[in-house]
Amino acid sequence: MLTAVFAIAFAALLAPPLARRFDDRAGWLLAAVPLMAFIWFVMQIPVIARGEVVTATLAWVPALGIDVAFRLDGLSLLFALLISGIGALIVLYAGAYLSDHHHLGRFYAYLLIFMMAMLGLVLADDLIAMFVFWELTSVASFLLISFQHEKAVSRRAALQALLITGGGGLALLAGLVLLGIAGEGWRFSEIDIDAVEASALYFGIMVLVLIGCFTKSAQVPFHLWLPNAMNAPTPVSAYLHSATMVKAGVYLLARLNPVMGGEQGWSDILIAFGATTAVVGAVLAIRQTDLKRLLAYTTVTVLGQLTMLIGTNTTYGLQAFVLYLLAHSLYKGALFMAVGAVDHSTGTRELSRLGGLLKIMPLTGAAVGLAAFSNAGLPPFFGFIAKEFAYAGLIQMGITGWIVTIAMIVTNALLLAAAGLVFIRTFLGPQGHYPREPHEVSVPMWLGPMLLAVAGFLLGAWHHWPETWLVNAAVQSVARGDVDVKLYLWGGITPALITSLITVALGVFFYRFRHQVRLQIARWRVFWGVSGDLIWDRFLKRVFEFAALTASAFQHGSLRLHLTLLSLVLSSVVFISLAIGGPALFTGGDYAALNTPAVIGSILALAGASAAAVMRGRLALVAALGASGLGLALFFLAANAPDVATTQLMVETLTVVFLAFVLRSMPAIPRVADEGAISRAAHILISVLFGLAVAGALLVVANVPLAGNIADWYVQNSYPGGKGGNVVNVILVDFRAFDTLGEIVVVALAGLAAASLLGGGQLAEMTRKGEPEFGSVLLRQAIRPLAGLLVLVSLVLLWRGHNLPGGGFIGGLVAAVGFILVVLTFGNYQARALMWVRPTLLVGAGIGCAVLAGVIGLLGGHDFLKGLWFFPLGLPLGTPLLFDVGVFLTVFGSMMNMMQRLAGRPV
Amino acid sequence: MEWLAALTAGGLAGIGMWLLLDRNLIRVVLGVAILGNAINLGVLASGRFAGSEAAFVTATTVPADPANALPQALVLTAIVIGFGLFAFALAVLKSVRESHGVTTTDRVTEITEEPAPDIEEVGLQIHQDDADHHHDAEEVRQ
Repeated sequence: MLTAVFAIAFAALLAPPLARRFDDRAGWLLAAVPLMAFIWFVMQIPVIARGEVVTATLAWVPALGIDVAFRLDGLSLLFALLISGIGALIVLYAGAYLSDHHHLGRFYAYLLIFMMAMLGLVLADDLIAMFVFWELTSVASFLLISFQHEKAVSRRAALQALLITGGGGLALLAGLVLLGIAGEGWRFSEIDIDAVEASALYFGIMVLVLIGCFTKSAQVPFHLWLPNAMNAPTPVSAYLHSATMVKAGVYLLARLNPVMGGEQGWSDILIAFGATTAVVGAVLAIRQTDLKRLLAYTTVTVLGQLTMLIGTNTTYGLQAFVLYLLAHSLYKGALFMAVGAVDHSTGTRELSRLGGLLKIMPLTGAAVGLAAFSNAGLPPFFGFIAKEFAYAGLIQMGITGWIVTIAMIVTNALLLAAAGLVFIRTFLGPQGHYPREPHEVSVPMWLGPMLLAVAGFLLGAWHHWPETWLVNAAVQSVARGDVDVKLYLWGGITPALITSLITVALGVFFYRFRHQVRLQIARWRVFWGVSGDLIWDRFLKRVFEFAALTASAFQHGSLRLHLTLLSLVLSSVVFISLAIGGPALFTGGDYAALNTPAVIGSILALAGASAAAVMRGRLALVAALGASGLGLALFFLAANAPDVATTQLMVETLTVVFLAFVLRSMPAIPRVADEGAISRAAHILISVLFGLAVAGALLVVANVPLAGNIADWYVQNSYPGGKGGNVVNVILVDFRAFDTLGEIVVVALAGLAAASLLGGGQLAEMTRKGEPEFGSVLLRQAIRPLAGLLVLVSLVLLWRGHNLPGGGFIGGLVAAVGFILVVLTFGNYQARALMWVRPTLLVGAGIGCAVLAGVIGLLGGHDFLKGLWFFPLGLPLGTPLLFDVGVFLTVFGSMMNMMQRLAGRPV
Repeated sequence: MEWLAALTAGGLAGIGMWLLLDRNLIRVVLGVAILGNAINLGVLASGRFAGSEAAFVTATTVPADPANALPQALVLTAIVIGFGLFAFALAVLKSVRESHGVTTTDRVTEITEEPAPDIEEVGLQIHQDDADHHHDAEEVRQ
């Protein structure tokens, strides 16, 4: 079963190259795949008919308990046979129908993807897997309807179908999840029926599932996408929009009938919607003059009738459902393919231009004749048995049944008239006027309709065969209890037979007086004034207007308004939680004792930042910001975080240099007061609230005892596990090295992005002639040894970082500071002479080292980035050290890269 | 210590937000830096300042009361990444200034929503290139 689905998916992948290589002959090759699946399913018939089920499971998301669990029972088998059997014929047919289309390969691929999804849908036992396949059929349908995407109507129809079925799909997902919760099982076969019926969620599940099924199966008022979907090439209409996909909704209704069908509401809704859909579809169908649209509306009718039959929940009703489903797929597939053949041959589908084709296209004509008889529900065709059982099922229901029966008589009579139109008008009577010289179509094009139509005849005439092997098992899976199936063509003079006779008489009457009937129908102006398509278009327009309104309200492009909104929301969330928690939140903390350096650091940080916030002089600004950062470094040092303090110190140095480079080419900064009093007051308020919120949140955090003992674990395991004394460094390069890898990639990317913003691929000139920034002789003499010393120090820091303060980050920053000193003093040329490797290369080498350090762990049979140590000559060498070298190179390279770009002046 | 850190972080965050709300792009970039500092301090503070000495161990000894090393490691990388962001913001500032000659946020929004000013110039350039190509081709023929 799994193989069948995967083989079809694989065929979809192969389709485009095959189609390119073999043109339309590829169809014969590709059709072999669904054909083999069909044969496999045929071989399962005896097993299923014995009442057994076939299962196959593939773990998919084991953590969530989602499996691709397939379960073949009577209902699935019936559908699987239709999907694979008709599918094989359709693939063949498509090859001939679209033989001159240059994207035939793509078409095959979409078609096979759909086939795969549809098979998955009917086989899946897992609710979630079923839903995924369900959505996949919607997507495939979208691609297939829009296959002729150069036409605007096709695009519109495709979008409409996708939005309606996709929207229904969302409802269905919610419904299925609720069903899984209520039924305490995520398999159709494991759902606890009693639990669902007793659940408070029952009503919600029912509504959501019904929306999903009704959109998919084109029930009123969601039916409007189906006729529009006829813009797709005919193979698609025949396969997706009559034989298989639109039946997915009906399938799910049938599948859930044992679970949900206990309540009267379920039946009432299904019968009401189904009957309405059937009548609306039939009335609309008889108005059509385009053969394909006519068939589309009769499909709507049949879908309505199928829904209704599930709703009856009587023995005959459910039998009729299965029979009718099978009969309809056979004859409607045949009719669609035949109409496509007619279109292909004559160049028109307009009823008024067609006629007398039987002489020219005898094979297609014969197929249509057989299918139309089945469609009309005349004996001894399979369609007759289906109709007979449908009446019997409705009559069994009592008084409601009789009312619905009357509606059904009219509907079926209209269908009969429509069948008459299709066959008699097209193939008999005088020759029509054709845009093209008609001819009989090629083998693949008449083979499909002929086989399906003949199957409809055979199944009816020898009805014991489907009864024993197919229908019985399918009915068992739909019904809530055991049902005995006995098919008959002649059951004596029963009420059902009489109803059938009335139907036929009425149908012949409708056909005979079809013009009057059409005229009569056309008089119901009120009815035609309500056009579903117009409503749909208006609805879409409203949606777009609403979307535009929402977007412009929030995406106004003003940075300041964005920030205002963001910080106000953030602050109010914090304040609301504080207000709820009350003052108790701020007590009970176990604060560490203050120390003087921390206080000085805090004051310095705040004072520097405040100065930066109000001052205008560019140099003063740079100095103030630097002081603020230094204060912070002091605080870190006082908080026993020497590594963090060193990093902050180095970063602050670089910040000052970079800022100075950029600010010198900037205009003077206007005074803050220029903005106007009101906006200034508002900004102050927003900022103060934000600051209070941050401080408040942190105070609350500090008053909660620290959970867990991660800190202890790291300290205890640093040496035994990571072979390092500096716990911070060990965390960075060993315990959490994967995080660090991600972080150095971010640093590298920031550097590359900044570089590409400035000067594209080429280096901007540092100064016009590579002159030094500072002319001081004293500096020039002293800086060279100092810079050399700094670089040396950086290497030492890197080496010892695993046990003492230092490491790759700090080392890289110190080296960058050393080089920047050289640049400042000697200008770009000197610096370039020293810097013989391009910074981007360093960055690449750095990330390469880090990844290599991880891969060594993998090669050693451990996890990625597992720390491995070697002690050649007593030296402690290990992959964490290599990793740290990578960090060093990345940080150093990025800093140099940014500096070279930022320091450049516009030439 | 914790309350001091909380107040400092809050103060820095407020100042950072104040700068971010400014119309001048230079102040906005400074705001990025200061807000970043505030958040780093906040992360470190949420790990508490319980220890009495830095987290360094040797092969044989483990300190009795070490500082929490995990937030330190997180903040260390955060500082470097924050600096990367700051440098990127500087690069944006510089390129905005060089290509549009403005440094106010609202003007930048206006400009970026207008069609790019150099489209016509590029168009001209293409025509010239075409002309050059013709010229080249003719030369080759000769």
